[in-house]
Amino acid sequence: MREQLEQLRSGALQAIAAASSVEQLQEIRISMLGRKGELTALMKGLGALSAAERPLVGQMVNAVRDEIESSLGAAIKSAQEEVIAARLQSERIDTSLPGRRPVKGSKHPVSVVIEEICSIFAGLGFAVAEGPEIEHDWYNFEALNFPPEHPARDMQDTFFVENNLLLRTHTSPVQIRTMLKQKPPVRIIAPGTVYRCDSDATHSPMFHQIEGLMVDSAVTFGDLKGILTVFTNQLFGQKTGVRLRPSYFPFTEPSAEVDIACVICGGKGCRVCKNSGWLEILGAGMVDPEVYRHVQYDAENISGFAFGMGIERIAMLKYGISDMRLLFENDVRFLRQF
Amino acid sequence: MNVTYNWLKEFVDFHETPEELAALLTMLGLEVESMEKLGEGMDSIVVALVEEKRQHPNADKLSLCRVNNGTELLDIVCGAQNFKQGDIVALAQIGSVLPGDFKIKKSKIRGEESCGMLCSEKELGLAEESAGIIVLPPQCAPLGTPVFTALGLKDTLFEIGLTPNRSDCLSAIGIARDIAAKLDLKLKYPGSPVVEGAQKVESIIGVTVEDTDNCPRYAARYLSGCTIAPSPEWLVKRLNTIGVRSINNVVDITNLVMMELGQPLHAFDCDRLAGHRIIVRTAQEGEQFTTLDNQLRILTSTDLVICDAERPVALAGVMGGLNSEIENTTTSILLESAFFKPATIRKTSKKVGLHTESSHRFERGIDIDNVARALDRAAGLIVELAGGVLAHGCIDVYSDKKDRAAITFRPEKANKLIGIDLERDAIINILTRLECRVSPGSDGSVLVVPPHYRIDIEREIDLIEEIARLNGYDKIPATMPHARVVSDRATRHQEIEKQIRDLLVNNGMTEIINFSFTAPDAARKLLLTDDDPRHLAIKLVNPLVDEQSVMRTTLLPGLLETIARNINYRSLDLKLFEMRRVYLPGEAENMPQEPLCLVGAITGSRDGDEWSRPNELVDFYDAKGLIETVLDFLDIGGVSWKTEDPETYFHPGKSSRIYAGREYIGSVGELHPSVQKNFQIEKPVYCFELNIEKIVKLSRTKKTIIAPSRFPDSSRDIAMLVPEELAAVKIVECIRAEKSKEIENVQIFDVYRGNGVPDGHKSIAVRIKYRSFERTLAEDEIATLHNKIVENLINKLQVIVR
Repeated sequence: MREQLEQLRSGALQAIAAASSVEQLQEIRISMLGRKGELTALMKGLGALSAAERPLVGQMVNAVRDEIESSLGAAIKSAQEEVIAARLQSERIDTSLPGRRPVKGSKHPVSVVIEEICSIFAGLGFAVAEGPEIEHDWYNFEALNFPPEHPARDMQDTFFVENNLLLRTHTSPVQIRTMLKQKPPVRIIAPGTVYRCDSDATHSPMFHQIEGLMVDSAVTFGDLKGILTVFTNQLFGQKTGVRLRPSYFPFTEPSAEVDIACVICGGKGCRVCKNSGWLEILGAGMVDPEVYRHVQYDAENISGFAFGMGIERIAMLKYGISDMRLLFENDVRFLRQF
Repeated sequence: MNVTYNWLKEFVDFHETPEELAALLTMLGLEVESMEKLGEGMDSIVVALVEEKRQHPNADKLSLCRVNNGTELLDIVCGAQNFKQGDIVALAQIGSVLPGDFKIKKSKIRGEESCGMLCSEKELGLAEESAGIIVLPPQCAPLGTPVFTALGLKDTLFEIGLTPNRSDCLSAIGIARDIAAKLDLKLKYPGSPVVEGAQKVESIIGVTVEDTDNCPRYAARYLSGCTIAPSPEWLVKRLNTIGVRSINNVVDITNLVMMELGQPLHAFDCDRLAGHRIIVRTAQEGEQFTTLDNQLRILTSTDLVICDAERPVALAGVMGGLNSEIENTTTSILLESAFFKPATIRKTSKKVGLHTESSHRFERGIDIDNVARALDRAAGLIVELAGGVLAHGCIDVYSDKKDRAAITFRPEKANKLIGIDLERDAIINILTRLECRVSPGSDGSVLVVPPHYRIDIEREIDLIEEIARLNGYDKIPATMPHARVVSDRATRHQEIEKQIRDLLVNNGMTEIINFSFTAPDAARKLLLTDDDPRHLAIKLVNPLVDEQSVMRTTLLPGLLETIARNINYRSLDLKLFEMRRVYLPGEAENMPQEPLCLVGAITGSRDGDEWSRPNELVDFYDAKGLIETVLDFLDIGGVSWKTEDPETYFHPGKSSRIYAGREYIGSVGELHPSVQKNFQIEKPVYCFELNIEKIVKLSRTKKTIIAPSRFPDSSRDIAMLVPEELAAVKIVECIRAEKSKEIENVQIFDVYRGNGVPDGHKSIAVRIKYRSFERTLAEDEIATLHNKIVENLINKLQVIVR
């Protein structure tokens, strides 16, 4: 019995060492340790032994089985590792080939800039307001204190449509519509499309503006300066210099042109800023009492400011575009860069 | 308005450099748009003395000079004849660059060395023609002084962009006045001594103003024995510098005084005025008159004319007449200085299409107080430069002299609105510097009478602006407002617009923006039926071009033009969308409607032609899938796709209208071949349209989210033969009609035609996924349900299950 056991052991270990695949090793397991396996058969033979011999031989059989099992386990594990290693080797690909990209879409630069500006002002508590593009003269000019003979009201500057309507020349009529609808406090930003009879490298007959309006009980010109400083710093960078200088608009007083330090040359003077070091980016001012009169606000007890800027101009400055017409040619080679 | 540094300095004694002055003006609201340094880079052309002059040994017409530039003696060869030893000349030293990029180099002329050049006025760009070199007066400046400095030509020209409210600054004195106010300096008015003769002006000329409303003030002076001649150099140069052409001494003086004091003047040849009379009246309807520019003008009763005893001699404030202009032979002059009503001049100037320096000023409003001062200044200058005798006195028809109304002004209101804290005295000081008359009012307010020339100051707010302006916008602290909280949530409309834009961009689409106006035939190219409301575009009254003359009623033509243009540029794989308003006429008296719409178009390769996958072209289902994604994202319920009554611009067999319930919300389809041709596109294009206004209304604000079932699913496939005409959606609907809660999903996973499928048929394979929320479904339960569904398909749709 012992010899038999020893034979079995050495035979099994040899077979394991000679096996070349996981499958062969599994076969060895079955032929040795399976229900009909040789070692199993030997175990069954234990019953024939004397009570004294049985535990001794039993222990020996168990020891042989453990040895075969651990040897098999190790052999299977290493065979499996070899299989994986071989597979990894065979599955190598050329990772330098370009990746499979989803087709990239892009927003129009005008949308990008409008969204960015609206989000800056949303952070300052401004709601977005809208108004019609085909407007009444009253909202576009009259209520904004444009005198009847103002050149902007000429056919040379304004597109008129049938029925005494016009294409709004600025987003400012949204101020009027908003104030007629609600009482102070008012804090709105109004992006939109506007139109003027003008067409060259720096003028487009259709362009976009964003209007801002804040009216409350004690808003000051200093507050306008504060809000616009925060805004320009967020849009053009924290250290961008801002300058307000006196100007004139019929619907604000005092009025200001707002310049930022030239983003191209940093204020040293270049072609873009015409050597002044400053770029004009928006017009602003305190809402004129005449405007309050038109919307039935009491100018004595409230105050506020308004500002407006051209989106295209800001997009051109931000992206270094020199010809405004590029924005409306819709060449995908241009648009896909945004 | 053009003005120079030196000129301004004649009126105010400031110490700022040209750069500092430019910054100061800009911060006063008088924006310096450009600054030109006159005589810059000409410093190496210096005042020099000709110490020795002798004949050039090898050339008859040249001379050899030894010239002293203050530091050394230089040999110069010169060709001019008009100078002698001891003369002071202009020497361009080696390295100088003369106008026309002419560089002065050391050279040998006929064997003799020349270390520079003696210059003529022409060579220095000071005159169009000159005979010989410049000979300067002796001791005009130390030797070596730059010639431009010695001639007083070193100056800086400012081009100032004026806002329309600042008509008071349409003159050098006006700009100087603002500088003086800002710097708290005294303003000096230019003066010419007025020396009058004995003869009284009233005895020679007469002025009658018939229309005092349009001409509240008319002043005139008379000069006799004048000599019309070219202006002296200083006057020519001053006018040239600011861009005014010199004509003759008298006309130049009227122009100079206009530029200096802002008062347009007109000089008539008095001998050509019938009766030596001036009558100011409105024109008769159809009255004819030839202006100085030799144009015959037909007048109307709204025009104001200056007449002599018989006929018009000037179009008031706009242009003089050919019949009374100053000629070389003129000796007696009637000089006019008047105030005309701005609106009248504006109307006439616009109507006759004549915009002159004079009308520009009158229509913006001039200083009525300045009329006599300007007249005297010009008269004095004429006597000085053209000789003659000025008649005694001045005719001044100024009947209704009005003082300006006082404005009640509260200094604390200025501080409060601007956000500064100036002392009351400081505020009043600013007003005084602006030549306002200030007197105490009630309740701490003051009464302010602004000067006549500041016609823009009428209200308290105008004075507040002046305080902010003079004190300096840069001195206002930037503060954050103390404000009440305002609801600032974007509207549903804006949110959905942004969501759709983001969704499409994230799905590979590029946003375009086309003009809102389009060609009148744009809608016609879409083959729309005659009764289609999209033909009813709103027309522009004054379009720039015909292609941009109507407001678009559909976004599709613009998108298709964009597709065509990009294909021309060889961008062949396109996924474009535009989300903008269209413009529809309002009903009856209503305002037009401007609904927000979305259009998209795709063409070319689906994923781009790349190495890893076959280059497949987009088709109808790509376009439909994009729209489905949008509708799904916005949770639009009850969507159905109908093939009936296709849009005219789509392939009738490859398009559908999209409904949400009964609402027509959009469409999708392949572009009709004829429309494709109309837009010159050669490849198939798949488009979709969506009415965003309707989508906003239909979009559910609250999504219902269902927790997933924890029980296993079981799928069954059915493959069936159906006639080609049967829409696949009918099969899905038929299965869904079984309204079983256990049907989790129905998916068409294969559509097949070909081997084994009879002609006129297609094979459709559907996978139904069964699952319960309550338990694991038993095999027989599923079988029962599935068999019923198969029976329904056979009975209702006559499918042949394979």
